[in-house]
Amino acid sequence: MSDFKPSPLQTEGHRYTIIIAGKAGEGIKKAAQVIAQILDRHGRYVFQTDDYQSLIKGGHNFSVVSSDTEPIYNAYSDADILISFDQKSLDQHAPSLAPDALLFHNSDDGVSDIGYGLPLSTMMKHFFGKDGNISVSAVAIACAVLGINADETLDIVRQNYRHNSEPNAQYAKAIHDLIKIPAINLPTAHNKPSHTLLSGNQLIALGAYSAGLDFYYSYPMTPASSILHYLAAMRDKLGVYAIHAESEVAVINMAVGTAFAGCRVAVGSSGGGMALMQEGFSLCGMAEVPMLFILSSRPGPATGVSTYTAQEDLFFALHQGHGEFPRIVATPDGFERAFILARELMNLAWQTQSPCILLTEKHLSESSAGVELPSDIKINPDAPPEPPNDDYQRYCITESGVSPLAFPPAKHSIKWNSHEHLESGLRTDRMDAMIAIKDKRECKYLTIEQAVKNHQRIAVYGHGSPLVICYGSTTLELREAIKHLDQKVSIIALIYLEPFPADLLAEYDGLNAIIVEHSTHGSLRLFLEEKTRLNIIGDIRKYDGRPFEPKDLAKRLQEVINASS
Amino acid sequence: MRRLDTPQVNTWCKGCGNFGILAAFKNAVTRLDSEGMSADGIVITCGIGCHGKIFDYINLSGFYGLHGRAVALAQGIKLANPALRVVCFSGDGDSMGEGLEHILFAAKRNMDITIILHNNGVYGLTTGQFSPVMAPGYKGLSTPFGSIESPFAVQPLLMEAGATFLARTYSVKLDHVQEMIHRAIVHQGFAMVEVLQPCVSYNNTYTLYNEKTALLSDIPTDEETARRLAKSADPIHLGIFRQEDKPTYHELLYGDHNPHLERRSDHERIALLKSIFDQG
Repeated sequence: MSDFKPSPLQTEGHRYTIIIAGKAGEGIKKAAQVIAQILDRHGRYVFQTDDYQSLIKGGHNFSVVSSDTEPIYNAYSDADILISFDQKSLDQHAPSLAPDALLFHNSDDGVSDIGYGLPLSTMMKHFFGKDGNISVSAVAIACAVLGINADETLDIVRQNYRHNSEPNAQYAKAIHDLIKIPAINLPTAHNKPSHTLLSGNQLIALGAYSAGLDFYYSYPMTPASSILHYLAAMRDKLGVYAIHAESEVAVINMAVGTAFAGCRVAVGSSGGGMALMQEGFSLCGMAEVPMLFILSSRPGPATGVSTYTAQEDLFFALHQGHGEFPRIVATPDGFERAFILARELMNLAWQTQSPCILLTEKHLSESSAGVELPSDIKINPDAPPEPPNDDYQRYCITESGVSPLAFPPAKHSIKWNSHEHLESGLRTDRMDAMIAIKDKRECKYLTIEQAVKNHQRIAVYGHGSPLVICYGSTTLELREAIKHLDQKVSIIALIYLEPFPADLLAEYDGLNAIIVEHSTHGSLRLFLEEKTRLNIIGDIRKYDGRPFEPKDLAKRLQEVINASS
Repeated sequence: MRRLDTPQVNTWCKGCGNFGILAAFKNAVTRLDSEGMSADGIVITCGIGCHGKIFDYINLSGFYGLHGRAVALAQGIKLANPALRVVCFSGDGDSMGEGLEHILFAAKRNMDITIILHNNGVYGLTTGQFSPVMAPGYKGLSTPFGSIESPFAVQPLLMEAGATFLARTYSVKLDHVQEMIHRAIVHQGFAMVEVLQPCVSYNNTYTLYNEKTALLSDIPTDEETARRLAKSADPIHLGIFRQEDKPTYHELLYGDHNPHLERRSDHERIALLKSIFDQG
């Protein structure tokens, strides 16, 4: 090993970024999650994210763990430690290292003039007798650099790699022994409790669970698939049944049946799968089915770019389903909100017997952070519905437009209908009956608007001018970016999109605003031009599938501000 | 026992085969109720088409679904509350066309539901287009020069998919229809009763079925015989082609649990979430 003097604490503030890069199938994401969890336990705030291609083996993948002594909202691309498994990774990431970064690379695949070369593949073969999970070495390297001793490193690897635990542990120890640089003692946040690192998708699943989720139906589609995978793996613990059905069309119709029979249920997909569920969405409007849809966006149209992020589905989400009926669309602006909003929307779906969409993106779905379970969770009074009496009518007309629910078995028939129907649930095409039941559904617009007002509909971060308006995980990118901006701005994140919080946005009438979104067409800008009287002075659009790099975003914000002043 | 009829005015054509199915089904439910299977827990679903109107003529709980999706709905209901007996009415356009995937997958899963397949060979309600089981040459509005597709064979298709109870009957033979429906509903697992049903407006098969149908004396004991008998056009066999015991989907999924009746309380959920979040 060449002589190398690290002094990483000269990076801005106490931020520290570790990037692990190599091929698909090498376990890079897992290693990054283990390292992120170590840093969280060490007392640092962590943001972990993955950049991967739609292939199973090979290609180029990398995972990033950025951490700080203050809350950190996004990942950075300038690594303080780069652990590279192949030449391609060196080529891509070595040029953008932070000053005084540490570079470790696999000397069996790639040549570098700087940093430490370690024969990671050869050593792997030594312990496994074949190719194995090379990225365990990243855990060992990170442990060594962070001053975690060999015994603790062995424990960490054994705990996190249950499969082939011993050869992995011995491999990790051998790598750890090779690294003889002085340990870096990363500073910690004061009194930060430690938490399980959870992805946006996991938080969505758990938020829905907290509000009674019993079933989840889905057909695999990135970036929503990890909800299906997580709930399937957690079946025995949570008691939620995650069903992989034959298609998204089956998914939504099975889910509707499950709601009819009295279980709380959600479905999830990306744009393509959601498109297939549109008729079912409309069914939820007509039959008044309580249903939570999770729509995790990726770049479109059509198959688009499977494993990257985008916000092209704003209007798609708002306008789901043919015919006229009320719905709720909301989008989480961060990890805690992913949990809270999934919970709120599940409850709202049942309270208003309406379809609700939780709109998110790959960037939040598949990034992870340590978050606290909200302490103020209120337990639902949630009395079971009264058994239907002799004059029970599924669609009985009420002031709110919401009719009491009842579930079979029942003495009196409970009839739900995809056709226009009478209060009894029997089909009709009579003029007066059509008007009566359409008016009933129309009443629900107001009911929903009032119900939604009980929840936080927008979030404001920072105080200054201009306003920076966004939704979804772009909020995270902005919250991190403004740390690098001299000018004080206010970020306004829209949480509820439908019903639109017009009353709250009216307070900003005439104020200068910049729109930031992952869209080519500027959907959010168009939406806000229609819905608000903001003075939009510019917008920032990114549509290459990648999240904003915080410092780049700060620069672009400054440019728009300068251009308008 | 509840009254099984409803105030809804019946709009099927005079002489429609659906009348036979409706009458036989009500008889089967009455009999099941008297045998201890309460009609309160029998739930029906249907798709869209002439068959679907049966939903409005039967006073049972249920869901009048989208075209082609009645079988998916039925599965979702069964999984939520396995104590319900779920009967799904479907047409040959509904489940052999638009919703073919669902009937095949329900059979593959041995989902514990009963499908009553109203098979009249055409799309009646949309004015007589050919259905996926219609023989080539049929001239309808969408195939004015005669259809050029080969038909699906309902029974062999579902045999291959894994159905554990398969029967065929003819809407005129009320007692036989009732008997097949009764046995299908009692069957534990995926059951399908194909009811041959003349469409007086677009495919009047009364003469054909009156002449050609013949009752099977026994349930075939081997696959090949079942398949051969099911495919025979002369005679057209009526009866049970397959009946076998196999674990059902919901039993394999959660044993004797009932997700609806045994929902976890919010308190249990929150306590569990605390432990998940605090494992850090």
